[in-house]
Amino acid sequence: MNRKWSYIPVVLLMSCAHLVLGQDWVIPEAESAVSNPSPYTLDNVKAGKDLYTVNCKSCHGDPGKNNPLGLIPIPVDVASDKMHLNSEGALFYKITNGKGIMPPFEGSISEDDRWKLVNFIQNFKPGGEVLLVDAPAVKAKLLASVNEQNSTVEILAETEGENSAFTSLVNAPVIISSKKAFGNIEIGRTTTNENGRAEYVIPADAIGDEEGYLNIVVSLNDDYEAKEVYLEKARVGKMKEVPKLIKSEVLWSTNDNVSLWLLLSYIMFAGGAWAVIGYVIYQVIKIRKYSKL
Amino acid sequence: MNKIESPEESRKLLDKIVFDLTRSIVKKDELTRFWFFFLIIFAGVGLWGWIIQFHHGLGVTGMRDYVSWGLYIANFVFFVAVSLVGLLISSVLQLLKISWAKPVSRAAEQIAIAAVALAGIIIVMDMGRPDRLLNVFLHGRFASPIVWDLTVVSTYLAISVLLFYIPLIPDLAIMRDRMGSELPKWKMQLYTVLALGWKGNDRQYKTVYHALRILMILIIPVGLSIHTVTSWLFAATLRPGWDSTIFGPYFVVGAFVAGTAAVIILMYVYRIRYGLHEYFEDLHFDKMGRLLVLMSLVYLYFNINEFMVPVYKMKQAEGVHLSELFSGGYAFLFWFVQIVGLVLPILLIRLKFFRKPLPLTLIAVVVLLSAWFKRYLIVIPTLEHPFLPVQNVPEHFHHYEPTSIEVMIMLFSFFASILIISVLAKLFPVITIWEYAEEKGIDKKYFTEKPKN
Repeated sequence: MNRKWSYIPVVLLMSCAHLVLGQDWVIPEAESAVSNPSPYTLDNVKAGKDLYTVNCKSCHGDPGKNNPLGLIPIPVDVASDKMHLNSEGALFYKITNGKGIMPPFEGSISEDDRWKLVNFIQNFKPGGEVLLVDAPAVKAKLLASVNEQNSTVEILAETEGENSAFTSLVNAPVIISSKKAFGNIEIGRTTTNENGRAEYVIPADAIGDEEGYLNIVVSLNDDYEAKEVYLEKARVGKMKEVPKLIKSEVLWSTNDNVSLWLLLSYIMFAGGAWAVIGYVIYQVIKIRKYSKL
Repeated sequence: MNKIESPEESRKLLDKIVFDLTRSIVKKDELTRFWFFFLIIFAGVGLWGWIIQFHHGLGVTGMRDYVSWGLYIANFVFFVAVSLVGLLISSVLQLLKISWAKPVSRAAEQIAIAAVALAGIIIVMDMGRPDRLLNVFLHGRFASPIVWDLTVVSTYLAISVLLFYIPLIPDLAIMRDRMGSELPKWKMQLYTVLALGWKGNDRQYKTVYHALRILMILIIPVGLSIHTVTSWLFAATLRPGWDSTIFGPYFVVGAFVAGTAAVIILMYVYRIRYGLHEYFEDLHFDKMGRLLVLMSLVYLYFNINEFMVPVYKMKQAEGVHLSELFSGGYAFLFWFVQIVGLVLPILLIRLKFFRKPLPLTLIAVVVLLSAWFKRYLIVIPTLEHPFLPVQNVPEHFHHYEPTSIEVMIMLFSFFASILIISVLAKLFPVITIWEYAEEKGIDKKYFTEKPKN
């Protein structure tokens, strides 16, 4: 029965998608004609990129790489011709109001930021001026160690320059995370100095495992291609508090939680019954004794 | 009770009663051997199923994430239900001084012991790690209905065994004194030890009556609580079909129906097999038939109440559950249990013809069978309808179907319980000799006389 019913949402969704596909997205003339108040500058495009990464990339994919999410209709790549058939005003209108599975961002992105997103899309306009060019990731090498005495992670970052000689990586962002069961959780960030060195003090309230051990992961951001450093079992964290009920091996929970009235009723009933059974067994013993009379 | 004055007549009648009632113990033929062979083989096959389950874990059963209580728990509830008849017949009816119930009492007690012992074993067989059984005692939590259940099942077993044993003591003495060559030596030794050197003096009889009376009173709260607590295993949850305040009495009455049917079947078997027509008379079947109708009527009332109220409200989750029972996949079973297993017996047994031994026994078989299916309907459909939708699980998690291993283990429980009853019938008289003889007017002093020959 369940299987039969599970088709219904799928069929419903597909028919909705058909409706959406079957219609053009008509933009009011006046909205389409609005021009972008945000100037087309590198800073605005960069800000638009950050917004795009957080809000849009999960469906629309990487610009120009044609890797959108397989939805119906398929999200349009921002570097495609189809995207750039839209005027700036039309793009803004679509981001603001959404349609079908494209959500409206009116409530979650400010007007200014929505225009910055339009700036970012313009960066990929065919034949247009390209302001932001993604530089290839810089090959780098990370070294890190942890000083348990003062809870400090010491980092040295280098980059491979010409002649295969390593030079220190200056002013690079370093991310310190803790490895957990379901992935890494960021603890904090720091930046390398002119010698390519950085230090990060693990906060006193960072929670480790039951014994206070922390598994630290040191990495650089996406601009760099560097193998992350894994510092296993550093004794720098706080001990994880284990709830008592797991500590002692008690089924389900603990008897400490039993309500008194329940415990007393149980003892009275079971104790009473077994006391009477004991008395009856005593009578059986008496029967044996009386046979000697 | 009219006393027989003449000693000759008394002795003659007593001889006849003892001869008739020990026939089950003395009788030794091919059929008996075959019967035990049959029971042991089939119980053994079932036990083999349990060994397989022990090796491979509960994955060999049809139980999965959603339906985690399957055939075993339904079977457990059935056995607890059947065992409750010991309380009804050997205590309530005796305390009410209903004389026809006296000969039936031991058969009821045999059923109670066998059923409650198996109920305990079935629970262990339902455990994924039976080797950790002791942990339930060591680390059990008093707020858990499962611990209560364990307590009452073991308490009830203890009381049932005592209630079986204490009225047996004078009988054991009679057999110790009167029998000999026809029985193997170990049996005679067993009787001698268990008879506790019974002499039949006043103080001993007084103690027996005293102990019996206490037990009969004690078994009422314990017996009621054994099945009430079993019902709380379900009713203490919020699930549709289980979340009911009348589950306690509902289970108890249903248990009386199932147990009475079981006793009728056992009475008929003893009557035919051991030629006890004069002991399990037509009158006894007539009375047991009436008792069955009474219990079924009360049970019908509870059934109407139990289904009428939620049907009237049709709360969302409850509605899914109820429509599955009334017109869905369980409809055939549900209406079979209600109509063939409950309404039809009530209508039929009201006619005198159907209170004759054979027709009544046939009806009792149907009642007992549908009582088992009723327990299945209580346990499984509710688990198939949780409050949150069943999703992202393999198809076979959606519905429950018992596997052959589960059926094997269930068959083990049936054969093992019949085996216990058969062994008890083979070792001890199926009717209390001294009570019956006294009822016929024979004085107690003849019981301990050694026969002259």
